[in-house]
Amino acid sequence: MDSRIAAIARYTLLEALRTRLPVLVLITLLVMLATSFFIETISVTEGARFQAGFYAASMRIASVFIAAVYVLVSVTREFNDKGLDVLLALDLPRSHYVLGKLAGFLAIAVLIAAAASLPLAGLSASPAVLQWAASLAAELAIVVAFALFCVITFNQLTAAASFVLAFYVLGRALTAIRLMSAHPLSGADTFSHQVIQFMVDALALVMPALDAWTQTAWLVNQQAPWMAMLELAGQSALYVALLAAATMFDFYRKNF
Amino acid sequence: MKTGGERVIAAVPRWVLLLLAVAFCAQVTWQALQPPPNARAEALGAPAEPALLRTLALGEPIALAQLLTLNLQAFDNQPGVSVPFLDLDYARVTAWLGTILELDPVGQYPLLMASQIYAQVPDEAKQRRMCAFVREQFDRDPDRRWRWLAHCAIVAKHRLGDTRLALSYADAITRGARLASNWARQMRIFILEDLGELEAATVLLGGLLASGEVTEPKEIHFLTERLKELKAAGKSSSPLENRHPKP
Repeated sequence: MDSRIAAIARYTLLEALRTRLPVLVLITLLVMLATSFFIETISVTEGARFQAGFYAASMRIASVFIAAVYVLVSVTREFNDKGLDVLLALDLPRSHYVLGKLAGFLAIAVLIAAAASLPLAGLSASPAVLQWAASLAAELAIVVAFALFCVITFNQLTAAASFVLAFYVLGRALTAIRLMSAHPLSGADTFSHQVIQFMVDALALVMPALDAWTQTAWLVNQQAPWMAMLELAGQSALYVALLAAATMFDFYRKNF
Repeated sequence: MKTGGERVIAAVPRWVLLLLAVAFCAQVTWQALQPPPNARAEALGAPAEPALLRTLALGEPIALAQLLTLNLQAFDNQPGVSVPFLDLDYARVTAWLGTILELDPVGQYPLLMASQIYAQVPDEAKQRRMCAFVREQFDRDPDRRWRWLAHCAIVAKHRLGDTRLALSYADAITRGARLASNWARQMRIFILEDLGELEAATVLLGGLLASGEVTEPKEIHFLTERLKELKAAGKSSSPLENRHPKP
């Protein structure tokens, strides 16, 4: 990796440490863990299953929220503090800035996923926990890459946050939406339905169906096949590369 | 050329453009090669308690009910499952339908699904279960839900061949649903006639005409003619459906 990209990535990580992101993750983790213990105590049977299921599902959402908001706020602050202007005045290609920030955020995503999965080690089988952690890291990688793309494209926190939220909710619901639109009980031949189905199918081509990532069922029922994990890793890498390219494209076209 | 404060596309390095194009094509190709999602009938889980769902709905129980309805619908209407309704666990389906009705009691969709969709499977036990569900739900709001029970009466008579069950449904409509259409409220008379209980049918039909509930002249004429036929003790040979006046 280019030393300038590595330096930006390192400072992005350092910024995360100094803005108390680890403390926030730790507090969230403890709250979720405590709540999962409460769930375990009030369940009559399958206590460990309830605990693991609740903790995994809630920590997944919390991790996505923290990672996305952190990226949005961090880059917005850099815009507002004019730190970006200083960087652009240097002999630094814009792509290096984007790649450096992305590398830093990806490292943060991996660290959050690792921290989130630690309590699960005592609740589920190790291979399943490993799969869940790797999948959460991949999911967070997509989310942080999309958040970076949005905040650089829109330059505004509200618009960017709205888009990230919409993207994530749509990604989690995409499979269900496709199932519902594919075979309606009535009106399948109407023009409006065909237009909607075409749009849903087109959306499915350019969006990852995030419900396939980080499934609680792997922890409480049966672990995922490793081939499926490889496929998720491939999809994640491809989508992060696409988002990185789109971010660089937008960033190169911006006038500051 | 500058437009809207943006730099020209030529300002973007070629390798970035190439990466964008390749990544986009790879993403679209990858997704296009994925098999379409396919729901499995056994994937239908038990619903949560209505009280919990109401809490989770964050003050929007109707929206949640509608979402759950569409979700339930997606389970039984998927490609790759040749007879989807038969594969479903009907105990769970009725639990879901009941939960949805708890969240949105005014909604008619769950009862439509129960009477018109789930009750159409070629399985008598499942048809009976769905009709029983509709019957149970009818009692909670007869004036809104009578049409689904009327459909179940027809299912009971013609599909299940259980005229007594059809009569009990028709009777419930007559007694419970004051706002039901006349054709539905008169249904029990014709079912009684089919059962050979001409005397009871005659009394009911005479009572109906005497009560003044029927005000449409053509309908009064039709029913009067039927009453005459019944009194003549000649059971009509025409099928039930043809005797019904239009609602």
